[in-house]
Amino acid sequence: MNENRADALQTMKNIAAHPELYIADWKSKQKMPVIGIFPMNFPVEIIAATGALPVIIQDSKEPISEGNSLLAEFYCGYTRSIADQAAKGMLDIFDAFMNADHCIQLLGSVDVVRELLPDKPVYFEHLIAAMDDSWTKTQVQEKIEAFIIEAERVTGQPISDEALLACIQSNNKNRQLLRNIFAARRNGDAQFSPAELQAMIVSSMIMDKNEHSALLESVLADAVAKPRDQRIRLHLSGHFCHAPRVELFELLEDCGAVIVDDDLYTGARYISTDIKESMPPRMALADWYFARNETIPCPTRVQKTVDWDSYLLNALDNSGAEGVIVVMAKFCEAHMFYYPELRKTLNTHNIPHLLIETEHEGMPVETIRTRVEAMIERIRRKSPTRQITQESA
Amino acid sequence: MSSATPSSVNRLKSNDAGRHMIADYWDRIFTANERDAQLVWYNGAALNPIFQAAGLEWAHGEAFAARLSAQKLEKSAQLAAQEYGYVGELCSYARTHLGTALLARQAKEKYSKGIVDDAERDDLASRLPMPNFIVNCYAGCSTGQQWDEITHRILGKETPIFNVSLPFLWSNRPDAGYLKGQEWEEASDYVAAQLYKLIDFIEVQTGRPFDWDALRQGMKYIKEASEIRREAMAMCANLPAPATFWDWIASVAHINFLPAGPELVEYFSNIRDEIAHRVASGESAIKDEKYRLYFDGIMNWNKLGTLARVFAERKVAIVAGRYTHNAFWQEPQLIDTDDPIRGMAQHYLLCPTNHGFQTIKHFTKHDCELYGLDGIVFHSTRTCRAFTGPQQMLAKAMQKEMGLPSIFFEGDVADESFYKGELLESRLEAMLETIDVRRSRDFIASSASNA
Ligand code: SF4
Ligand code: SF4
Repeated sequence: MNENRADALQTMKNIAAHPELYIADWKSKQKMPVIGIFPMNFPVEIIAATGALPVIIQDSKEPISEGNSLLAEFYCGYTRSIADQAAKGMLDIFDAFMNADHCIQLLGSVDVVRELLPDKPVYFEHLIAAMDDSWTKTQVQEKIEAFIIEAERVTGQPISDEALLACIQSNNKNRQLLRNIFAARRNGDAQFSPAELQAMIVSSMIMDKNEHSALLESVLADAVAKPRDQRIRLHLSGHFCHAPRVELFELLEDCGAVIVDDDLYTGARYISTDIKESMPPRMALADWYFARNETIPCPTRVQKTVDWDSYLLNALDNSGAEGVIVVMAKFCEAHMFYYPELRKTLNTHNIPHLLIETEHEGMPVETIRTRVEAMIERIRRKSPTRQITQESA
Repeated sequence: MSSATPSSVNRLKSNDAGRHMIADYWDRIFTANERDAQLVWYNGAALNPIFQAAGLEWAHGEAFAARLSAQKLEKSAQLAAQEYGYVGELCSYARTHLGTALLARQAKEKYSKGIVDDAERDDLASRLPMPNFIVNCYAGCSTGQQWDEITHRILGKETPIFNVSLPFLWSNRPDAGYLKGQEWEEASDYVAAQLYKLIDFIEVQTGRPFDWDALRQGMKYIKEASEIRREAMAMCANLPAPATFWDWIASVAHINFLPAGPELVEYFSNIRDEIAHRVASGESAIKDEKYRLYFDGIMNWNKLGTLARVFAERKVAIVAGRYTHNAFWQEPQLIDTDDPIRGMAQHYLLCPTNHGFQTIKHFTKHDCELYGLDGIVFHSTRTCRAFTGPQQMLAKAMQKEMGLPSIFFEGDVADESFYKGELLESRLEAMLETIDVRRSRDFIASSASNA
């Protein structure tokens, strides 16, 4: 691998694995606040426009201990990890926190942060989830304005439309670069492993976007497409707010599968939609909230006019994926609600699929392996060309 | 040491007398189709006065799931939900109600083919008629709105649905607090505006102009019933408590979704009079009350009788709870009966899960002081993340700030499999011992200082 490209990739991997080191370094150089952002709908451009660094707070790999005495054990792993990180001082590096998402589990964890870090502003504006209603549009616009005012207050920096537009442009560019990489994977390029793609996305959630885009450009400058092999093509679906463990990707590949597309939050969902540069920036930020749910519907929102299941069928058509792994963070209620709708549609279209629930700690590797192998076998039997390939192998 | 000697629960007689009102209400729901009445399914806030004024029948999803569970008739609905693919960790109210939606859809399909299924007809869970439309108005818990979105989908997306969206009262600003601050006022206006839009929507669905006089009249009854209920609750500060949390649980249906009318006012007047009589005569709700506790969490409908007994046998009066005392038209002074919409909107926001931790702590402390409580029992409700969210912090804060011990027990709102009775009993006994020790210490300390 070319050195530049290898270095850039390694930098992204390191930052994804240790956000705190990047944040500390950025702070010492820039002398500006760092704002912790909770997933999945906060427009980080608002914070970037003040010169502060918005960082989407990641799930920590550290086993949850204190978090379990702050939130019930049946809260999703991400929220318990947030509580755990707050209790262990791992969030002290942030100067303030912002959240736009009304998931009751997420709010529970954000309230823990507010209680444990009483000196830091922990700001929440509830972006209404009923996307079809005209009054939601007005409400979201008002909340975007409120976020802007709060960002100005906590950073002490005024936010101009010009600064907002510049940040929108740099975030759009970052999304476009990432989307190109994801599109190449969809079209048969296997040069990046799923773990590498995840590191690109997670580091983008943490880093200054211009810096991140520069790294992506170094990677892409030396990119050499690598045609994917004949393994079974899978789509990964779901897993909100945080990244699934890369061990899961490795296991899938081990079983003879190749991941060709996804709608994971730490994947295609995060980069799905640009903010319109042709609109006045404040309006464009509100518009983005609605546009994202049109591009890849999310079950944490309610919208009659879009269907995640239809989106998924379309995505499978585009990528040629032969099966779907629904990756569900255990206890994620929005996902539990929608899963049967996905299942019904996939069954109707005779598309093999498998539900894998993930937990913060411990992955039942052998059980998952058996289930994945069985699914892969089903796909092989279903496809006459696959059978021929296997027989002649 | 406390001992588990048998002790009787002295339930309010007026509650028993009002039970038929609930049965009558459900009979009206089950016969809605036969009577050509329009039926709305709804979840969350008590929108029923609006539906009543519009001449509709209204079926509250959570209430139906609760009724099935209390009668131990929830299994067929939960099985239908499981077969459809819902994971067992999903809110069991939602799971049960979605199961009834699947059963209702199935029954309708069979009916349209001329198939009459006797077993289904006898299964209460299958008897909920299909709705003409759905209204959702869920505070606090994100699950609430997602639930009706999915109901809408599983009914085939043809049934119209209206969402009233209730902002979470997070308390960003220094002026924020219970019933105060800019956030509260803005949220009240935002929700009130949606209620007017809901009424427009209902007019379209019914094809009739909305009867505003009927709404004003209905809200007069509700306000009066609520004032009487609050007055009766306040009397339970008396030692021994004349009524308990379990009595208030028995009247949740009445205050939350039964028709507004003179019968409702009379029902709560009878409760108040009975409580007043008990206070005057020193009659207690449980025999030999020795401990007074607070119940935090949503109800465990499968285990109502068991729980009432477990506490009473140990001389524990559960006097108040977040679910009963901080919900259900609990601030009647907010209702302007001539112009009721804003006060209604405010009540819809006042769900006990729709507040940040500090506000929940504020009203829990208030209740623990008012009712002179010795400790807290937390119902760690397995599939209700909204109620359980602040519990661990609340337990720590109440210990630190008021010296109140607490225990957690596991159970669920409508899924019996999560209940862990033995743990509850052993933890409860340990806590009562702690209370005994503290009392002896306080006694010795006060004797010493008086000597
Ligand atoms: S993963 Fe699901 S349950 Fe957890 S915070 Fe995100 S949306 Fe909420
Ligand atoms: S989780 Fe609790 S508050 Fe939320 S919808 Fe279910 S019962 Fe209601």
